[in-house]
Amino acid sequence: MRGRPNLHTKYQFEMGLFPSTTKRVSLVLLGVLALLLPLSALPLFGFLGDAGWMVMINRALIYAIAALGLNLLIGVAGQISLGHAFFMAVGAYTAVVLGGESGRTVWGLGLPMWIWLPAAGVAAALVGIFIAPTAVRVRGLYLAFVTLGLVFVGQFLWRNLGVIAGGPTTGRPWPKLEFALWKGMDPIVSFATDGPLWWWLTPIDWLPWVQIEEMSRHAKTYFFVLFLVIVFGLIAKNLMRTRVGRSWAAIRDRDIAAEVMGVAEAKGKTQAFAISSFYAGLAGAILASVVGRIIPESWNLFFSIEFVVIVLIGGAGTVAGVLMGTFFVVMMPRLVEEATHWLATQVTESGPFAWLGNVIIRSSPDDYLGIVSLEAAGPGLSIFQLNVVLFGVLIIVFLIVEPLGLYGIWIKVRNYWKGWPFTY
Amino acid sequence: MTTTLDRTEVPDLSDAFPTVAWRIRDWAERTPDRVAIREKDFGIWQEMTSSELWDHVLTAAHAMLAFGIEPGQVTSIHSEDRPEWLIFDFASVAIRAICTGLYPTNPMAEVQYLLGDAASILHFAEDQEQVDKVVDAPADAFPTIKKIIYVEPRGIRVMTDSRLMFWDDFMEIGREHREANPGAVERLMADVDPDEVVTLIYTSGTTGPPKGSMLTHRNVEFGVEKVLNSPDRFQGGRGEGVDDEKLTYLPLCHVAERLFSAWSLAYNGPILNFAESIETVQADLREVQPTIFFAVPRIWERIHAGIHIKLQDGTRFKRLISAFGLKLGVYIGRSRVANNGNFTLGSRIAYWIGYPLFFRSLRERIGLRHCRYASSGAAAIAPEVLQFFMGLGIRVYELYGMTENTAVATSNFDGRVKLGTVGEPYDGIGLRIDEETGEIQTKHAANFVGYWNRPEATVDTFTEDGWLKTGDVGVWVDGTHVKIVDRIKDIIITSGGKNISPSEIENSLKASPYIKVVMVIGDGRKYLTAMIGIEYDVVGDWALRRKIPYTTYRDLGEKPEVLKLIQGVVNATNEKFAHIEQIKKFSMIPKELDHEDGELTATQKVKRSAMTEMFGDLVESMYS
Repeated sequence: MRGRPNLHTKYQFEMGLFPSTTKRVSLVLLGVLALLLPLSALPLFGFLGDAGWMVMINRALIYAIAALGLNLLIGVAGQISLGHAFFMAVGAYTAVVLGGESGRTVWGLGLPMWIWLPAAGVAAALVGIFIAPTAVRVRGLYLAFVTLGLVFVGQFLWRNLGVIAGGPTTGRPWPKLEFALWKGMDPIVSFATDGPLWWWLTPIDWLPWVQIEEMSRHAKTYFFVLFLVIVFGLIAKNLMRTRVGRSWAAIRDRDIAAEVMGVAEAKGKTQAFAISSFYAGLAGAILASVVGRIIPESWNLFFSIEFVVIVLIGGAGTVAGVLMGTFFVVMMPRLVEEATHWLATQVTESGPFAWLGNVIIRSSPDDYLGIVSLEAAGPGLSIFQLNVVLFGVLIIVFLIVEPLGLYGIWIKVRNYWKGWPFTY
Repeated sequence: MTTTLDRTEVPDLSDAFPTVAWRIRDWAERTPDRVAIREKDFGIWQEMTSSELWDHVLTAAHAMLAFGIEPGQVTSIHSEDRPEWLIFDFASVAIRAICTGLYPTNPMAEVQYLLGDAASILHFAEDQEQVDKVVDAPADAFPTIKKIIYVEPRGIRVMTDSRLMFWDDFMEIGREHREANPGAVERLMADVDPDEVVTLIYTSGTTGPPKGSMLTHRNVEFGVEKVLNSPDRFQGGRGEGVDDEKLTYLPLCHVAERLFSAWSLAYNGPILNFAESIETVQADLREVQPTIFFAVPRIWERIHAGIHIKLQDGTRFKRLISAFGLKLGVYIGRSRVANNGNFTLGSRIAYWIGYPLFFRSLRERIGLRHCRYASSGAAAIAPEVLQFFMGLGIRVYELYGMTENTAVATSNFDGRVKLGTVGEPYDGIGLRIDEETGEIQTKHAANFVGYWNRPEATVDTFTEDGWLKTGDVGVWVDGTHVKIVDRIKDIIITSGGKNISPSEIENSLKASPYIKVVMVIGDGRKYLTAMIGIEYDVVGDWALRRKIPYTTYRDLGEKPEVLKLIQGVVNATNEKFAHIEQIKKFSMIPKELDHEDGELTATQKVKRSAMTEMFGDLVESMYS
C-alpha cells in the first residue's frame, strides 16, 4: 500500500523476499556495484579488479555457496555439523572422477562441466541423506562428534584412495571451469582462460572510464560464481519461507515439540542434510576447479570450522548475514596482513603509530613486548597463527556479545533508525 | 397480472429518497470493485468491496424481513466496531427499521433498561459477553426480542436459549428469503419517507437514565452536509472522498463515530479501517495512517502523553534531537495559534527544518503522517493539547455538536481557527446564545424530532419558539467563534455567590499526562477542591524511574512522592486562574473509575452525582 508500508492486506506482502522498496533499491544498487567490480570500474575501489584481489573475492564467493548450505543446516534447521569439509570433498572428488583426465594412477572420465558440476552436488547430497539418520538419533554436541568423525573418515579415505584423490602430497589436477558440449569438444564458454567472456561481451568500451580489451579469467570466474551465489542465495532465502524451511525452523527451536505438532522430524533433518550437502558439494567442486590442484590433507577440520565461523560471525539463519560473514572471514587474513605490514613500516619510518607497532610486532628475539613476528621463522606468532587466534577470539566475542553476528549488528543499527525518534 | 409481476421485480430506485442504505447500494453499482471496508483479522487487513458490502447488507435486510421486522420497529446492536455493525445498521435502514446501538461497556442493568425502552425486536450481540447481558436476565425481561444474533460463537454454542442465532445462519435465512422474494427490500426503500426515524441514539445520561434521540433521514442528510461536507473544513477545500482512509474505533453507537464513519462511508466513500480494539488504536493508527482522523479528547491526551513517555526512553542522542524538535514544535504551535491556525513564514521554515529530523518520523510513529484533517470533539479538550499537535504540523480542529442536533453546531474551519473555542456556527444554521442563561441554542434541519417514548422530555428540550436547548453555556469570542463555558447544570456557584465553570479547570489539569480524571467540587462551598484520578501507566512509569515501589492503583496514588507530583500540576494550573477559581485542596480517587461501577458514563464522562454519593466522606474531609 503506497505510503503505508505496514498496512498489509495480503499475507504475500509480509512473506515477500524483498518486501520494501528500500530493500529492492539497495539490492539493485548492490547488483550494479557487483557488475562493475571485476572491470576495475568502481570509483575509488578500482583496485579490487586487480588479479590479487579478484582471486580472493572469487574464493569468498565460492565459500559463500558452501556457507549458505551450512547456514541452512546450522542456522535454519539447527543441526550442528563439523563435517562440511567432508561434503565439499565428496563434491570435489566426484567432479574430478567424472570430469578429470584419467591417468596411470588415477580414474577420470573427462566428462564436460554440465555433468560433473551438478553431479558433484548430487553425490554430496546422497551422502548427506545417508548421514542424516544419525542426526535423528543424536543431537547437539553428539551430532557435532559424529560429523567430526566424518572429517577424519574422509581424510583417511582420500589419503588411501589414490585413484580418486591423487598422491597424498601432490593431489591431482581438476577439470577446468569450461562449458563444452561433450568431452574432447572445444569449450563454448571458458571461465578459466583470458579472453572474451562471450562473443559479444568484449572489448568493454561502453563505460566512459573503463577500457578493457579482454576479460581476465578471474573476472570471468567471478561472473560465473556470482551468478551461482545469487541463484543459491535466492533459493536459500526462498526455502526459509516455504513449508520445508518452516519445518526446519520448528525442528531447530524444539524438535520434540515440532514432531508433536505434526512436523516430520526425520524427514526434515534428512532434507536439511541433503540440501546443505548439495551446496557443499557444488562449492567443493568449484573451489577445487578454480584452485586447480588440492591435496587430500586440505579437507580437514580447520576447513570445516572456518565455515562454522562464517555462519556464526555472519549471523546464523540469515542469507545476508552469511554473505557478510564470508567476506569478513575470507578478507580478514588479508587485512590483518596488510595492517601488520603497515605497522611495521610505521615502526621503521617512526610514523605516528610507531608505538602501536612496537607493542604488537616482535622485531627481535629480545623484544619481549611484541606478539607478532614478521619473519616466518622468527619468535612469536606468525601472521597465519595470529589469524587463527583472531578467529578464535572473534567466535568467543560474537557468541557472547552478538549472537546474531554481523547481521545482528546491522539489525541493531537499522532498528535505531527505524524507531526514530522513539527507541521502541 | 401486473400485481404478480410487481412482487418479484426490483423497482427503479433512482427517484427514491437517498437514505444511507440507498447510497451504499449506489456505491455498489457505480464502483463495485472499490475497497470500502478493511478489518484486521489474523494479522491482515481483510478487504471488502462496495459490492460485497451491499451484498451483505441486502442479505441481512432480507433476513430481517424473514423475521417479520416491519418499518418503524427497532433493531439493536451491542458490539464493538466491526463490519457486521455497519451491515446490520444499513440493513435496518434499508427495510426502514430503526436501529439503535449500545455501548460495549454498558452493564447488564443498563442493557435491560435500553432494550426495554427501545422495544428492540432483533438484537445483535457480538459475543458471549454481550449475549450474557441479555440471556442471563429474567425470562420476561425482554418480551419483545425475537432473536439474538451473535458473530463470535465462542462460549455461546453450548447455550440453549432458543432466541440465539449465529450470524452465518442468520445470513443463510436472508439468502433464502432473498431468492424467494427478490426486490422486497428495494420496494421498501422506494417508499421511504425522509422524515422517518432512522436511528435512536441514546444520550450517555450523566444525570438520570439515558434518553433515545430520534434522528430522521433528513437529520442525517443535513448533518452530513454540514459537519462532513462544509467546504471550508479542509485545507484547499478538498473534501472527503474515495481516496481518504479512516480508522473506525470509537463506539459506533455514538453520534460522532456514526457520522464520521458510517454515514461518511455512505455519502463520501472513504475507506473505513476497523481497528482491532480500542486498546490497539495506536498500533492500528500506525498501520492505517488515516488521512482524516477524528478523536475524542481522551485519545488525544493519550497520544500526547505517549509521545512524551516514549521520547524520554530514547538514547541520549535521540533525546537531544527530540528536545530540539519539541522546541520547534512549541514555537510552531504558538505561532499557528496566534495566526488562526495558519503557518507564517517563520513557522513554515521552522517546520521545514524540523520535518526531516523529527516531525516526519514522529508523525509516522503516531500514525498521523498522512493526516490532512484531524478533529476533536464530543467533550472539551485542553487547548495545550491541541496546540501541541498543531506544533507537529497536524491540522487539527475542534468542533462541537450533540446527539440532539446530529452534531451540527459549530466547527473551527481551516485558516480561521481560534484555540480554546469550538469554532463558528456552520453556514446557514440557526445558532444563538440565550442572553439570560447564556445557553447555546440551535435551530436547523438536523435538530432531532424528539426523545423516544418521552414527549415531556422532548418538550422540555425545545424553547417555545422551537430552538433546541443544548444545555451548554457558551459565550461569543470576537463575535464569530463560540467558546463553551460548561454544562449549565455543572456550573458551580460557591457560597460566596461566584459562578465558576469547573470543566475549564478540569481540562487544564487533564492536559498533564499524569492525570486521567478530575472532578472539581465547590457548589455551595467556600472554596474549590478536586478529586483527582491518576493515569495509572504514566504515573507507574514515572514511579518506576524514581524507584518508588508500589502495589496497586490506590497505593500508587497515595504515595507522598505522587501527591507531590500532582500538587505540582495543581499549582501550575492554579497560576492560570483567578484566586477564587483555584483549587485549595485535592484528594486522590482511590480506585480506577469504571462504567460498570456507575461512576462513568459510557462515553467515559464522570457522573457527578454518583461520585459525590460514592466518595462523600472524601469530599467532606476536604472541607473540614
